[in-house]
Amino acid sequence: MNDATTTLTRETAPVPATLESPDERRRRIRMGVLALVLAGIGVLLAAFTAPETVTFALSGQLADSPLSAIKLPALPVALALAACTVAVALAHLLRGLSGRLGVLLWAVFGLAFVVTFLCWAAAGKTFPLTNQLQGTLNLATPLILGALAGVLCERAGVINVAIEGQFLAGAFAAAVLATVTGSLLAGVVAAVLAGVLIAAMLAVFAIRYRVNQVVLGVVLVVFASGITGFLFDQFVKGESAKFNNPGVMSAVPIPVLSSIPVIGETFFRQTLLVYTMYAAVAIVTFVLFKTRWGLRVRAVGEHPRAADTVGIKVLRVRYQAVLAGGVVAGLGGAFFTVGFTGGFDKDLTAGQGFIALAALIMGRWHPLGATIAALFFGFTQQLQGQLQIIETPIPSELLIMAPYLATVVAVAGLVGRVRAPKADGEPYVKG
Amino acid sequence: MSKYLKGLAVLGAMTLVVTACGSRPTESNQSEGSDKTNSASPQAGAKDFRACMVSDSGGFDDKSFNQTSYKGLLDAKKELGVSSSTAESKSDGDYPKNVGGMVDAKCNVIVTVGFKLGDQTAISASENPTIKFGIVDYDIKATDLKKTNLKEVPTNVKSLLFNTAQSSFLAGYLAAGMSKSGKVGTFGGLPIPTVTIFMDGFWEGVQYFNQQKKKNVQVLGWNETTQKGLFTNDFENKAQGKNTASNLISQGADIVFPVAGPAGLGGLEAAKASGGKVNAIWVDTDGCVSAPEYCNVLLTSVDKGMDVAVQDVITTSFQDKFDNTPYVGTLDNGGTGLAPYHEWDSKIPADLKAEIDQLKKDIIDGKIAIKSKVQPQSQ
Repeated sequence: MNDATTTLTRETAPVPATLESPDERRRRIRMGVLALVLAGIGVLLAAFTAPETVTFALSGQLADSPLSAIKLPALPVALALAACTVAVALAHLLRGLSGRLGVLLWAVFGLAFVVTFLCWAAAGKTFPLTNQLQGTLNLATPLILGALAGVLCERAGVINVAIEGQFLAGAFAAAVLATVTGSLLAGVVAAVLAGVLIAAMLAVFAIRYRVNQVVLGVVLVVFASGITGFLFDQFVKGESAKFNNPGVMSAVPIPVLSSIPVIGETFFRQTLLVYTMYAAVAIVTFVLFKTRWGLRVRAVGEHPRAADTVGIKVLRVRYQAVLAGGVVAGLGGAFFTVGFTGGFDKDLTAGQGFIALAALIMGRWHPLGATIAALFFGFTQQLQGQLQIIETPIPSELLIMAPYLATVVAVAGLVGRVRAPKADGEPYVKG
Repeated sequence: MSKYLKGLAVLGAMTLVVTACGSRPTESNQSEGSDKTNSASPQAGAKDFRACMVSDSGGFDDKSFNQTSYKGLLDAKKELGVSSSTAESKSDGDYPKNVGGMVDAKCNVIVTVGFKLGDQTAISASENPTIKFGIVDYDIKATDLKKTNLKEVPTNVKSLLFNTAQSSFLAGYLAAGMSKSGKVGTFGGLPIPTVTIFMDGFWEGVQYFNQQKKKNVQVLGWNETTQKGLFTNDFENKAQGKNTASNLISQGADIVFPVAGPAGLGGLEAAKASGGKVNAIWVDTDGCVSAPEYCNVLLTSVDKGMDVAVQDVITTSFQDKFDNTPYVGTLDNGGTGLAPYHEWDSKIPADLKAEIDQLKKDIIDGKIAIKSKVQPQSQ
């Protein structure tokens, strides 16, 4: 038995690294050209950078103990970094980057491009770096939680367009329950339950009654918006001190980690909800790819008939995955009220649930990919806000558009392969 | 409970049926008829007189301009005993449907709230010349006839306008006087005239302070000369509002002036979270009344008396005295002004308060000219 497998692998495995299929080749060239275009933009920006100093502030100006700032000569730094991006793009176009080194080089590419851009935009001005990170995290936290909820559902083959609805229900439940009980933790628990409630409706109609899942998701969003709006008008609005004044969770610094300069303050002096988000990323990744249940979820989402044949209860696993998604989405909802801004207001999620969906797709239905995409969305959104304050030449609309343009590019398959779980959105009928 | 819900559902269904039944021609005849009854015996016809209102996408509970306008409707209802209908818009796409719904509901006067409803109001008013319209924050004369496909500007619309640049000027002066860091910040919801007028006034107030006191207080987030600044790009996203205010704070602003409806509440949250370092000025309504949880960070609010104007347009329509000359709220007629200082009353220096009172007089007398280009023209 053992011998057989080894011979088998010996026969099929050793494919020379230099050989690539025409498909891969096409993809490499497309990606390389795209990177080269981006690098070209970087070079152009660098060329137009004013020969002044760019200052990256490491703390807010009103902070108790202001930290020093990084001062760089904008023009040479921008030129050097733009050259780096061109080098990486060319390397990929000609040789193809893969493996660990590839990931590292792409990270360098991204970082160099962003810094080039900042040198150009903030030359002669002060750019608050820590605030950029802080804002990115604030904006990305609900997106990450929403996208993780989407990953859980869609990996099991149930399309979840209702993330926005889960957010709204969670945000509302958290604000009201936290105010009534006087405990923010109770609010978070209520948010989770509300998220699960919407998830349960999604699950029953999608799995049991096989309703078209995209339509169903949209309907659930409208339902959640309506019901929270109705309850808010009827009971909460007039009595905001009694029902809608939950306060905001306070930051809990993690000892040691929170004293790391620059990033410590941002990433490890946060609320428990943000730490829960960190944990959720790790847990969802681990569960989906390292546990038996996770394997079943993926099987059910890719090929439910095959999963059924080997004795997996397809519908049960789907129910479990959708409800688990509800838990995560509910947490995301709680962030909008008790986690960040306090009281509930009608439709305060303002479409973030749909952006989480975009992050999920851009992240290729992978928890880590979705997290990175959500961080990217948060980063550009925050950058846009910051650049408006320091009055840079770039029109803000262009920056607002950028992440979605990137999503379209990603979904169109220009960057690598984006493929939804095969049975995503297809109800399973045993037979 | 379930009986209650059932009843509610039936009621809802009935409303739908009733509103769907009224076809346009019959209904406009009827409203003509009821107009005549009203002029004969105004008070007696109060129940037949229907005053209606359509919100913009902020909704009637925005703790801001929709809410104040709505209060005007409630006040008129209480005062005159008229019936009322309202439609709350969830998005910009709802306007045709909601204004049309009010027409179908046989309203005698329809008040639409907000600049964003301008085109729709002009179209509906032209189609229904017997119905009186009032529109908050929009000058009907500025209607783009090509875009709305109309031959002329309808004459049955009264514009309710507010020169909030005047009151925001005072707010800017106050902010500059109270800032310790020498930087004050503002952000808007969308770059539309009814938002930027506040920011223009605020900016000019700060510049005036600098000129008078030989100081250099900076305004972050808006520049009147370039008309460029900071916007959340919607009026709903509170988290974005808080984040935007935090960005201003990280750049050193210690007074923030959010002009973004409910999203601006996030800005107040950011001020509250700063632990006393940062304070704010609210807009449209007295923040200490509409959002009391933030009262301790509010120096004052820029008040915009939409309730009075709305009540007035309903009352005059009811008494058959409607006219279409625009109403312009100013410091002079009390249509806009600074709200009380509340908890800050004792903390704001008496000199500064006296200077602001003097400024107010000077603006009324025309000694100080405000340059903002988006100011409504007084009649």
